Order: sequence, then structure tokens, then C-alpha cells
Amino acid sequence: MGGTGRNTEEIEDLYRRHGAALLLFAASISGDRGHAQDALHRVFLKLIENGTLNQATDKKAYLFACIRNALLNDRKRENRNAPLEIETKWFVPPERDYAGEQNLRRALGSLPEDQREVVVLHIWGELTFAQIAELVGISANTAASRYRYALEKLRIAMFAKEKACAHSK
Amino acid sequence: MHTPNDEQFESYLKQFRPVAPEALPAAGTSLGSHRSLRLGAWVAALAALLMFGTLILVMRRIRVVVAPQAPRDVASMEHRAASEPLTLRSANAWLARAPSFHAAVDALAFRSSDNSVRQGQQSAVALLSKEKIKL
Repeated sequence: MGGTGRNTEEIEDLYRRHGAALLLFAASISGDRGHAQDALHRVFLKLIENGTLNQATDKKAYLFACIRNALLNDRKRENRNAPLEIETKWFVPPERDYAGEQNLRRALGSLPEDQREVVVLHIWGELTFAQIAELVGISANTAASRYRYALEKLRIAMFAKEKACAHSK
Repeated sequence: MHTPNDEQFESYLKQFRPVAPEALPAAGTSLGSHRSLRLGAWVAALAALLMFGTLILVMRRIRVVVAPQAPRDVASMEHRAASEPLTLRSANAWLARAPSFHAAVDALAFRSSDNSVRQGQQSAVALLSKEKIKL
């Protein structure tokens, strides 16, 4: 009983620390923020009930893997391929830069799914390319190159627009 | 504004913090609430069943009490209905006196009317039967 209590506390602590990044990752896969939130709760409640987190050596990577599997299973089962819902706020912008936040959201939405997930996992999930490689089932080099491509596309999408706006002024 | 290099761009992106998720619902609480909901539903169903049973018993008792008086009342009602002409006032009076609405309606529907012909008068049917009608 004490073990279960400790397990629950640990899971709740992980939720507090990584919940935001996990939700962003889930939303970037599912496209629907509500569905992403449900999946996140489902995964954590299951972990609390089953106590399977103790078996994982890399707990953070394991959590991201659980979310990914849950959402991909949902997609398979429900034959659901929702377009990315980019109208809902994904980030808390620095210095109330709401335009920047919207710009980032749209730029992320324009990326192919495999590149988007690598960017989200590396920047906001703070996973290494080796961890991402294991999670997604690709080599670390592929993960790194996907990341570089994605970053370049993001930069162009976000700053080319700003440059165009500056020139037009 | 110049285009940032990789490191600058990464640190710029990291400034945007993902929105926090909703609080995790407690597993025990949700299971407990499901259990209490189920128990509540059972209790409500049982209470409804008891109330229905009691209602049926009470209705039966009322019928048993009313039943012995009914034939006498109905008989007197029918007698009155036969002797009085049917007006709105008399119908209201019957309804007020009747043991039930059903009994009152029955008394009105099956009342016998006095069709006897007075002395020195003939009925239309008797007159017509005397006439020889050539077809």
C-alpha cells in the first residue's frame, strides 16, 4: 500500500513537471487539444492504477512513448485523422508576444508530422536525439537530420513573414 | 530583424512555454464516485418500486371500500336519471352525487325513457300501421 502511494506521488510529480510538454506533444500528434488532454489523463491514470512506471528506466521518455502509442492507437481504432487545430493556444508567449505565439503555432502546423514531433520532443520535451530515435523507431542520425530540416522550415516560416512585413512598411 | 542562427533560434523558441494541462483527476476519487453513483441509482430504483407498490395497495383498498356502496348508488342514480329530463343542471347534480364519474356516465347513458302514450292519444307508428299504403 505504501509502495502504491509512493508510486502515485511520483507519477503526480512527473505530471507536474512534464505535463505541459506532454500535452503539447499530444496536441501536435492528435490535432485536437481536447482529445490530447483526454489521452494525457488516460495515460497517467492507467500508470497510477497499473504501477508500470517502475519498470521503465528512462521515465520521461517512457511517458512520451505512452502518449504517442495511445494517440496512434486511437487514430487507428477510430480511423481519425483530424487536421491540426491551430486556433487553440499552445504556448504562453514571452512578454505577451501573442503575435509571435500565433506565428509559431502556424509554423509548427505547417511542418510534416514526423518533423513536427522531433522538434517538439527536442525543444520542449528536452529529449536527446538518441531518446527520440528510440521513441519514434528511427536512427539517431535520422532524428537529428529531421530536426535540422524542421528548424530551417520553422525559421523561414516565422522570419520570412516578418521580413516581408518589414519590407512592405 | 536579422535571421537568427540555430542556437539563437532554439533559445527563442524555448521562451515559448507550453500551456499547462488540466489537473490530473484522482484515480481513487473517480472510481469512488462511479461506485457511489451506481449505489445511488439502485437506491432510487428500489424507492420508486416501493412507492409504486404502496400506491397500488392503497388504490385497491379504496376500491374495496367503495365497491359495496356502488350498486345501490348506481341503482338510485339510474332511477333518478329515468324520472328526470336531461339538463345541464341535472347532469351536474348526478355527477356530484355519483360515487364515481364512470358510474354517473353509465347512469346517463343507459337511462330508460318513458315512451308510453297518454290516454286519448295515438302514437305515430300506430297511425301509420292503420293506413293502407299502395306501393
